[in-house]
Amino acid sequence: MAHNEQTDVEQLTLCLQQGIAGSEHVDPREALGLTPDAADARVARALVRTLAHHDLQQIGTHEIDPKAARHPSVRPPTEVAMDPSFLGRLSTTGSAELSVERIDDIATILAVLRAGSRRQRRAALGTLRDRLRDRRSVSGDGLRQAVETLLELRDVELGSELAQIRAELPGTQGREARNEHEQWKRLAARVESSITAFWDGQSSVEPIQALPGDQRALLLMRIGELPDSVVHHISAIIEGSDGCTMLESRVGLLASLRYATDPRLVPALIAVIEAERGELVARAARVLGGIDDARIHPALVERFERSFLEEERLALAAALGMLGDHRGAAEVRSSLEEDHPRLLLQALEAMESLGSAEHTDLVMKFLDHPDVVIATQAVRTAGRIGDGRVLDELTERYNTTSVPALRAAIEDALLAVAARMELRGEEAAKIDWSEVGNKPDPRKSRGDSFPSIFLGWRDYFMGRVWLLLGRLSWAVARFESAAARRNAWVVPLIGIGMAFARREQYALALPAFRRAIEIDRPRIERNPILVRAMAKSFLHRAEQVEKEGAPGTVRIELKRKHEAFRRQEHPHVDSAA
Amino acid sequence: MSILLRDAAARYLRTKSPTAADGAVQRVSIEIELGGRVETVMLSFRDGSLCCVSSDGQSDGPHVLAALQFITAAERSEEAPRISLNPGAAMVLETPQAPELAEALDDLLTAIARVGADKSRYAPSVETAIERVVQVAPQPTPAGLARFVGRLQQEMRSGEIWRIARVLEGASQLVEALRAPEATRESEQRIEAWLGPRPGTKPSVELLFDRTMIEVGREWLACTDRARIERRYLVDAQSGAVYREDRPRNASASLGPCPRELRVGLAEVEAGPTPKRIRVLQYEVQPDVAEKSWERVRQVASRSIAQLTESYRRSVRAYPALGEPFGVIAPYRIETGDVFKAFDSDGHQLVLDRTERRGAVLAFYDLLARGEEPTWLAGRLTDTGGTLCLVPFAFGTRNRPYLRL
Repeated sequence: MAHNEQTDVEQLTLCLQQGIAGSEHVDPREALGLTPDAADARVARALVRTLAHHDLQQIGTHEIDPKAARHPSVRPPTEVAMDPSFLGRLSTTGSAELSVERIDDIATILAVLRAGSRRQRRAALGTLRDRLRDRRSVSGDGLRQAVETLLELRDVELGSELAQIRAELPGTQGREARNEHEQWKRLAARVESSITAFWDGQSSVEPIQALPGDQRALLLMRIGELPDSVVHHISAIIEGSDGCTMLESRVGLLASLRYATDPRLVPALIAVIEAERGELVARAARVLGGIDDARIHPALVERFERSFLEEERLALAAALGMLGDHRGAAEVRSSLEEDHPRLLLQALEAMESLGSAEHTDLVMKFLDHPDVVIATQAVRTAGRIGDGRVLDELTERYNTTSVPALRAAIEDALLAVAARMELRGEEAAKIDWSEVGNKPDPRKSRGDSFPSIFLGWRDYFMGRVWLLLGRLSWAVARFESAAARRNAWVVPLIGIGMAFARREQYALALPAFRRAIEIDRPRIERNPILVRAMAKSFLHRAEQVEKEGAPGTVRIELKRKHEAFRRQEHPHVDSAA
Repeated sequence: MSILLRDAAARYLRTKSPTAADGAVQRVSIEIELGGRVETVMLSFRDGSLCCVSSDGQSDGPHVLAALQFITAAERSEEAPRISLNPGAAMVLETPQAPELAEALDDLLTAIARVGADKSRYAPSVETAIERVVQVAPQPTPAGLARFVGRLQQEMRSGEIWRIARVLEGASQLVEALRAPEATRESEQRIEAWLGPRPGTKPSVELLFDRTMIEVGREWLACTDRARIERRYLVDAQSGAVYREDRPRNASASLGPCPRELRVGLAEVEAGPTPKRIRVLQYEVQPDVAEKSWERVRQVASRSIAQLTESYRRSVRAYPALGEPFGVIAPYRIETGDVFKAFDSDGHQLVLDRTERRGAVLAFYDLLARGEEPTWLAGRLTDTGGTLCLVPFAFGTRNRPYLRL
C-alpha cells in the first residue's frame, strides 16, 4: 500500500509520544510495514528506527528553528524582591533609573555604604571612589565625612575594595595601605613562581596550602588582581583536579574565598555545586552568591531544586537571596523557628539576604543567645534587616555585654539600622510594653490557631480603645502585640500607621506602613482609600525631609512621586517609600 | 603477546589490592632495559582488563613482554598465602551476560513504546526496566551503558520525542549486535563502545605521541546517577581533532585546571563515538595557556558549517545514543542582534542551543552586549528541529584569547 511519508511520520511520532498500548485510533504496524500480529517488541524497534532515521535526515535541512530563534536573553523568572523601599529598589548598575552610580550626594552614598546589601555597598564604594578622585565636586565637609567613614568602616565583605580605596587616600593611612599593596604584590609574584614550579613537577608542595593562614587570607582578599595562572590554579584546587589537596583543605580554601567577587572562579564553583555535596556545596554557594555573573543564578536554582540536605539548602537559599531570588525564604524562616542548633548559624546568615521587617522578632530572639557566635550573627542579621524596632534591644545588649566582638558587631548594626532609617525617612517608635504585660513570643507555626486569633483581636480592640482615650503609646503596644500573635495580619499595622499619620507623625507612621506592605501587598493595593492615605503620609514626610535638607537623590525621587500624586494618579505603593 | 601471561599479571596485580579500602592498583609503570635500550612500560587496568604499552608505542613488544614476565615471576615467588580476589574486580572479568542484557534492553524499549514517551518518566514499568538493564549489565556499570541511562533519563525529562527515539535506536542497535550470530567488526566495535572490551580481547586503540592539546571546556554528565562523569574536551593543536577525557567521580585522570595546555608524551585513543575517548598516559601540564596556543586553536577550528553538520550527522548516525560531538568553529561572520548567529563563508548558519547550560548562554549574551565578538567558539553540538546548534563552552575574541562559559 502506498503511503504519504510525512503523514506516516506524524502518525508514528504520535504513537511513540502516546504509546502503542494506549493509541487506540492508530496502529503503527501497518505504517511500519509489519504484520498485524507483530509483537510489541518488534514494533518498538521498528518505530524508533524509522523515527530516528527520519530525524537524522532532517539535520541541516532547516535554516533556523523558530524555537532556537526566540529571544534568548530572557532571564529565568525570579521571585519578587520583598523590600519595596528606596534601598530595595536601588540598582547597582548604571543603566537603571534609580542606581547607586547616579547618586551625587556624599551623605546618601555613605548611608548606602552602611545600610545597603553587599552589592549596593560595593557599588556605593565604587561611586565614592569616583567622587573622591574628582575632589572639586566634593565639599570640604563631605570629603572629611567620607574619609572618616572609609577609615572607620569594618566591613570584611568589602575588604578588597576598601583596601584599594584607602590606598588612594592621602596621608599616613594612604601610605600604609599602599605599603600593604606592595607587600601583596611581592607575595603574589612569589606564589605565582611557586605555582609554575608545582605544575612543572619541580615541587610537590601545593603553594596556596603551604602559605601561613594570614598570608593566604591576604593573597585571596585581592584575588581579582591575581594573574590568570594563579586563578586557574585555585580553580584546580576547588574542583579537586590538582591531584594533592585533601577535602578539608578544599573546604578551607572555599571558606577563605567567601567574599571573592572574581568571575574567573565561577566555572569551578559551579562544577562543585553540580557534582559535590554537603559542606563543599554550601561553601561554594556562599561564594557564588556574592559574584555578579549570569551563569550563577540558573546553577543555584537547579541545585536548590534537587538538593535535600538542609545544610546545602540554607546556603543555596541565602545565595539566591543575594541575587534577589527569595524562593528559599519560607524554608529559612521555618529553620529559625524550629531552632535547630546545628543549623541556627546558617539560618541566621541566610536571613541577612532573605529577611525583612517581618522577621525582626524572630531574629531578635537570638540576640541573647548564650553562644556568642550565634548572638553576633543575630546582631549582624538584625543590622542588615534594618528595622527600627531592634534599636532598643541592641542598645540594651551593648550595655550588658563585655564581649568585644559582640560590641563591635552591635556598633556596626546600630549604624546600619540608623542609616537605613535615614534613607527611608523613618523613625522608630517607643513602645510602652508595660500595658501589655509580657511581649508575646514570635509565632511558631505557619497557621493561626483559634486562641491566637482570639487574642489578636482582643489586643486589636484594646488598642482601638486606648486610641479613643488618647493613650497612643499603649495603643501602639497593643497593636504590636496583636500583630505578633498572628501570621501575615496587617490590620494592626495599618492601625499603627494611621494613628501616627493622624497625629502628623509621619516618620513614625512610615515603618508601620512599610511592614504592612511587605506582609500583604496585594491586599493593600486593592484598597484605594488605604493607598491614598499611605501615599499622603509618604508625601508629607517627603516635604518634612525636604525642609530638613534631604539628600539629593532622595529629593529628586520624592519630587517625582509628588508630581505623580498631584496628577491624581494612584502612585504605586512599592515606589512610594 | 601471550594472553595467558597478561592474565597472570592481571591476576597478580589484583591480589595486591584485596579490598577497595586498601586502594586498588590502577596503573604500574616499570622501566625495562633490554638490548641497551631503556623503555617505560605502562600496565593499566581499563574496564577490567590489563592494557600494556611501552614508551616506544608498542603494546606487544619485547619490553612489554619482559615487564609481564617480571610481574608473573614475582607472582610465582610470592611466599605469602594467596589472598582472595576482589569480588567487584572479578565480576568485571566475567563474560557479560549478553543475552540477558539484550533482553533487558529490548524490554526497556518496549516498555517506553507501550507507555509512550510523554508518560515514560513517571512509569513504574520503565523505571523497573532501567533498573533491570543496570542489574544484568557487567559490574561496575560500563561507562557507555551508564551514559546511555543518563541520556535516556534526561531526554525523557525534556520530552523531546526525536531525541528519545534516537537514544532508543542506539539501544536497539546494541541489542542487534549482542544477538548477532556471528561477530562482525562493526558489532564488536559497538559492543566495545557500550560495554568496554570483552575479556581476553585486545581493545582497539590508537596511540598518540608528542602532541600539544588544549583543554577548552569541561562538564559533569549524568549516568546511572547525577554528575557521574567529568568530561574534559581537549583540542589537538596540530590537527584540530577534539578528544574527550572522561573522569569518573572519585577516580583520577590527568591533572590540571580548565583551561590548560597538555604536552602529551603518550596517549591512547579509543575507537568509538565522537569525540573519541582519550587516555593521557604521559603528559606535562601548563595551567596558563599561551596566547599563541589560543591562536592555534582558532587556526585549526572548523570554518565550514556545512562540513560540521555533515560530520555531526555521521557521528550521530554511527552512535545515536552515545555520540555527543563537540566542535570548534571559527565563523566567517556573526550576527549579534536579537539572536546570535554564526555564519560560514557559504552563508550556512549555526545558532546556540538554549535548552542546556542556560547560564552559559546568558553569560555569552551578556558578553556580546558588552561588545565582545567571538573569533572562535567551542561547544557541544546538538540539533533542534533540523537546525545544527551549539551548546557554548568557550570562545575567544580579538582582545581576549579565551573566555570560559
